[in-house]
Amino acid sequence: MNIAYKHIIRFVIFAFLQALVFNQLNIGFGIQLMIQPLYIMLLPFELTVIPLMGIAFLLGLVIDVFSNTYGLNTSALVLMAYLRPIVFKLYGPREGYDPLKEPTAHDMGISWFGLVYGILLSLHTFWFFLLEIFEIGRFGFILQKTILSGGLSFLLAILIQSFILNSKQKK
Amino acid sequence: MRNLIAFLQRFRIFLVFAILQILALSWYVTYLSFPRNQFLTTNNNIAIKVLEWEHDLTKHFNLSKNNTDLQWENVYWRKRQPQFMYQLSRGKVKINDTIYEQQYAYIPAEVINSSVNRRNNYFTLNVGSAQGIKRGMGVFCQQGVVGIIHYVSQHYSLVKTVLTKDINIDVSIHMKKTDLPGLLKWDGRDPRYGMITGINNDLRIKKWSKVETRGGSGIFPKGLPVGKVSFTEPIEGQALWKVEIRFSADYRRLQRVYIIKNLHLAEQTALEDRIPEDDE
Repeated sequence: MNIAYKHIIRFVIFAFLQALVFNQLNIGFGIQLMIQPLYIMLLPFELTVIPLMGIAFLLGLVIDVFSNTYGLNTSALVLMAYLRPIVFKLYGPREGYDPLKEPTAHDMGISWFGLVYGILLSLHTFWFFLLEIFEIGRFGFILQKTILSGGLSFLLAILIQSFILNSKQKK
Repeated sequence: MRNLIAFLQRFRIFLVFAILQILALSWYVTYLSFPRNQFLTTNNNIAIKVLEWEHDLTKHFNLSKNNTDLQWENVYWRKRQPQFMYQLSRGKVKINDTIYEQQYAYIPAEVINSSVNRRNNYFTLNVGSAQGIKRGMGVFCQQGVVGIIHYVSQHYSLVKTVLTKDINIDVSIHMKKTDLPGLLKWDGRDPRYGMITGINNDLRIKKWSKVETRGGSGIFPKGLPVGKVSFTEPIEGQALWKVEIRFSADYRRLQRVYIIKNLHLAEQTALEDRIPEDDE
């Protein structure tokens, strides 16, 4: 399968899963499950930052339209796409990334994935709730929402990764 | 000029980032107060079709509970129908319709899409300007107040619910001797609890006293239920109570709502426009 087609199909699946399933789930404690950062994370290594931000903007737009958040997801995803190459460079191997590999837990190892995705996801989630709440003196509430939502979204990302990994092993 | 181009090339990435951020944030800031283009809300054609499919699937989840609620409401109104009452003094009951005039019209609607765990929660309804819905009309359900219409397209509308930052519905706490007026707010924590601000702390508020709409602005009629006082605490340094209420409606599984059309609203606003403005 062509790599571009794969990512386009993945775009549609991630957008619809987020809009129709995870937006409607109501866990309580103000927790919001977010899987759209995982899509930005799984884009190939050699993609430069400007197309990356363009894709993030588009994905955010689609999710914002479906959930009436008016640009919140877009802003948070663009920030994450902007920071992705910086964090990748920081925690990458010295000789650079292997272009044949993908930034998944399967290809790069669970510890690398956990570290890099953990950093990016927590920045994304923190920015999202900072903008959404935007009140001085409610910093504790922002942190609480970030930790709860970010933690559960991280576990969900690992779960989705294991599904992708299983389907690869079967082939 | 060459310096400028060199500067732009060096900061190209950050520039693109800044432009995209400004686009997203300006969208966020303007739409919170007034959505202009329906394409960027759930009221556009594609999103609403997809959400309707989803709603067709998920609307059955709370069906039995919703049906029970509707049945209880039917019982409530049936008890008040004159033809079902036993007439005690024959020939004396006469309903004089010139005394009462209908002030509010109600339009039933169904919630297609909703959220309760964001800071600002909006519901999408399946009625729009074709049914006579306008921006600023009140929305309520059987158990309590839901919100105010925020944006209308031809067949759908968006409700700004009481679970938003700046909803500010005027309500009053119903007590034995007086009613205490205040503004309803939400702090974003729990969709079951809201807050009322602007209550002076000279009177003691009983727990579980009823909170109802005040009907001052003409959006809601007087006496619609909102909730009950669950917690009061004095605010430090101010002569005010911090009042927390428990909403009487459960917004997490809301499906059927009514939209209120105030038939006298034009008259009221025309009259209130005549109040001379203070220009001191």
